[in-house]
Amino acid sequence: MDKHEGTEKRLSREQLLRLTAAAGGATLLGSRFDTAQAALERLGAESGRLQVLDWPGYGNDGGQAMFAQYVKTHPSNKPQFTQMTSESDALGRIHAGLKPDLFRPYVGWVKYFATSGLVQPWDTKQISNFKHLNPFMVKAGQYNGKQYGIPDDWGFDAILYRSDKVHPKARSWGLLFDERYKGKIAWYDDLEMLVMAGLYLGFPRPYRQSDSELKKSQKLLMSKKHLVRLIWSSETNLWEAFGSGDLWIAYAWPNDWVQMKKKKLPVVYMRPKEKPIAWVGMFMLMKGSKRPHLAHAYVNAWSSARSGKWLEDNYGYGHANTLARPSSSALLRALQLTNPKAVTEPNAHLDRDIPRRALYARMWEEVKAS
Amino acid sequence: MALANADSSPEHVPRPRRLRLDLTTPILLGLPLAWLAAFFLVPIAIVAAYSFDVYSLNPGPHGFTLTAWHDFLHSSVYLRLFWKSVKLSLTVSAIIVLLAYPLAYYLALSGTKRKYILLLLLIAPFLTSYLLRVLAWKVILGNQGAVNTFLFWTGLRSPDHPLSQLLYSRFAVMLVLGYIWLPFVALPIFVSLESLDRRLLEAASDLGASRLQAFRRVTLPLSLPGVVAAFLFVFIPTLGEFVTPSLVGGASGYLYGNQIVDLFSTGFPDWEIGSVLSIFLLGVVAILTVVFARFLQPGEVTVD
Repeated sequence: MDKHEGTEKRLSREQLLRLTAAAGGATLLGSRFDTAQAALERLGAESGRLQVLDWPGYGNDGGQAMFAQYVKTHPSNKPQFTQMTSESDALGRIHAGLKPDLFRPYVGWVKYFATSGLVQPWDTKQISNFKHLNPFMVKAGQYNGKQYGIPDDWGFDAILYRSDKVHPKARSWGLLFDERYKGKIAWYDDLEMLVMAGLYLGFPRPYRQSDSELKKSQKLLMSKKHLVRLIWSSETNLWEAFGSGDLWIAYAWPNDWVQMKKKKLPVVYMRPKEKPIAWVGMFMLMKGSKRPHLAHAYVNAWSSARSGKWLEDNYGYGHANTLARPSSSALLRALQLTNPKAVTEPNAHLDRDIPRRALYARMWEEVKAS
Repeated sequence: MALANADSSPEHVPRPRRLRLDLTTPILLGLPLAWLAAFFLVPIAIVAAYSFDVYSLNPGPHGFTLTAWHDFLHSSVYLRLFWKSVKLSLTVSAIIVLLAYPLAYYLALSGTKRKYILLLLLIAPFLTSYLLRVLAWKVILGNQGAVNTFLFWTGLRSPDHPLSQLLYSRFAVMLVLGYIWLPFVALPIFVSLESLDRRLLEAASDLGASRLQAFRRVTLPLSLPGVVAAFLFVFIPTLGEFVTPSLVGGASGYLYGNQIVDLFSTGFPDWEIGSVLSIFLLGVVAILTVVFARFLQPGEVTVD
C-alpha cells in the first residue's frame, strides 16, 4: 500500500472531493502538481476536531456566525473549545498538559508568548482575509518581524456610568475614585488597574512605571478601595450588579455599555481625558499543533468582514477587519470604527508588553488583599 | 500455658486462614494508603516544591530558594488577609454552632416521633447544588431582591434608598456561609446528643438537679465532642473558602482563599507565592485540627 492509498483511506468522500477540487484548482492556477499534492497530504494528515482555547462566550454561537465559514468547509473538524479565564489561566493549563491548536491572549502578551517557545508564527499567506485587517493591529501582533498574533476582537477600557445618578466633575479616570459614590463603584480585576492609576496620576510611561511610581499607584488604589463595591472579573457579574442598581460607575468595556443600553438604563460610556486603554485579541498558533492548516482556516473565518459585523452587533466589540461595520451608528461612534488609529496614540493607550508584569500582578493582588 | 502446649505440639500445622489474614490486611490498608499518597501527599509535595521555587511555571533558571516564604512572612497584606479570614470563619462557626445546638437538642431529645422527618427537612437543601444555593441569595439580598422589595412595600425604605450593603459585603459572606453550613453543624451535634445515655439525665433528676443543672453538668459535657467536631466541620472549609466570597462578597468580602485562586490564575501566574499561601493554610489547619482533636474525647459528667 503506497502513501496515497493510506491518505485516501483516512478521508471521507466529501473531504476527498473537496481536496481533489482544491488540488485541481491549484494545478489550474499554475502551481506545480507536487505543491498541490503536498497541500493535499498536509490537510489529509490533519484529522480530528480543532482544539481551541478561548474566552467564555466565543464558542457559544455553535459555528453559526463568528466562524461559520470554517464549519461549513470543515464539517468533520469542528472546533472543540476549552475555556480560559485569563492569559495566566491559559498558561497554567498549557503547562498542565493541555494541547490546543490555537488560543487567544490579548495584545499585551504577544511578546511574552512569542519568546516563551510555546507558539509559532502564522503563515499569513494562508489567511486570505489578512489583507483587510487593521495595519496598526497587525503590527501589534508582530515580534521580531514575524506575525505571532492575528488581531481579531478589540475594544477599550473606559468608564461606564448611570447618567441619572452620577454627575462627573471631570471626564477623568478619577470618577472611579469619587468619594460621593462610595459603594456604587466597580473596578476591574486586572493589573491594568495599576496602569489606569498611573495614567490618572500623570505618569509618562504607565506600562513601565518606576518603583516609586508603582508604589504611588498602588497606594492610590489601596486608599480608594473602600469606595469599591465590586471588583469584577466576569462581565455577567458586572451586568447583573449594574443592571440591578447595585452599581452606578464601572471600569468597563464597550460590550458592557451595549448590554446596559439593552436594559434601557440611562448610561454613558465616558472616554477619560487621560485616554482610554485599548486592547486587541490575538489568535496565536501553538508550536507543535497537529492541525496548523485547519487553525489557519479557522482564523481566516474569524477574520472575515461578516464575522466582524456579527461580533460588533452582538458583542459590542470592534473587529480588526476594517470592512466590518456594525448596524448601530452609536456603537460605530463609540468605537470610532472609521478611525483606523482608534486604538493607538494619541487616541488611546494600546495595551502592550509590561516588562515587569509579574511585579505589577503581585502589587495588584496586594491591593485586592488590602 | 495451654496455648503454648498446643503450639509446641508436633501435630500443629499453621492454619491457612491466618496466612490469608496476614495478606489481606496490607492489601486492605495498602490501597487507600497508596491512593492517599498519590493524590494527596504527592500533590502537596509538588505545591511545596513550587513554594520553594524548585518547580516553576516560568522559563529560566530556578532552584531552591526561600524568597517566596520570606516575601509572604514579611508582607503585612497577606497576613492581615489571613487574619481577616480567620476572624470571619471563627465568627461564622461560633454563631452557627450556637444556632444549631438548640435545633439538634430539640430533634434528639424532645422525643418527637417526627424527628427523622425534621432531620430530613434540615438537610433537604443539600439536594440542590451548592452554587445554586449561593446564587439564590443574590436574588434575596440584591437592591431589587426580596428583602428590599419587602422594605419598599412596607414603606420602611424608599426604592431610591434600598438597603444596599446586604449584597457584596462581608455580611453577605457570613450570612451565606452560615446558611450553607448549618446542617453540617447540626448533624454531629444531633448524633452526639442522640447517643446520650438517658439514664444519666434520670439519675441527675432523681438526685435533685434542675433541668438547667442537668443540661449544664450532664448533657453539655457529654455532647461537647459533637460540638467540637461540628465547629471544625465549618471552621476548616470556611477558612479557605473562595466560591461564596467571589459570588456575594464583593471587594470587602475578599478572603484568603480568593487570594490563593487569584495568584494561580489571574494577572500573571505567581505560583510561588500562591503555593506559599496554600501550604501555610494547610499547616495552620493541621495544627488546629490536632489541638481541637484533644477535645473530641468524650466529656465527663461533673459532680459537686
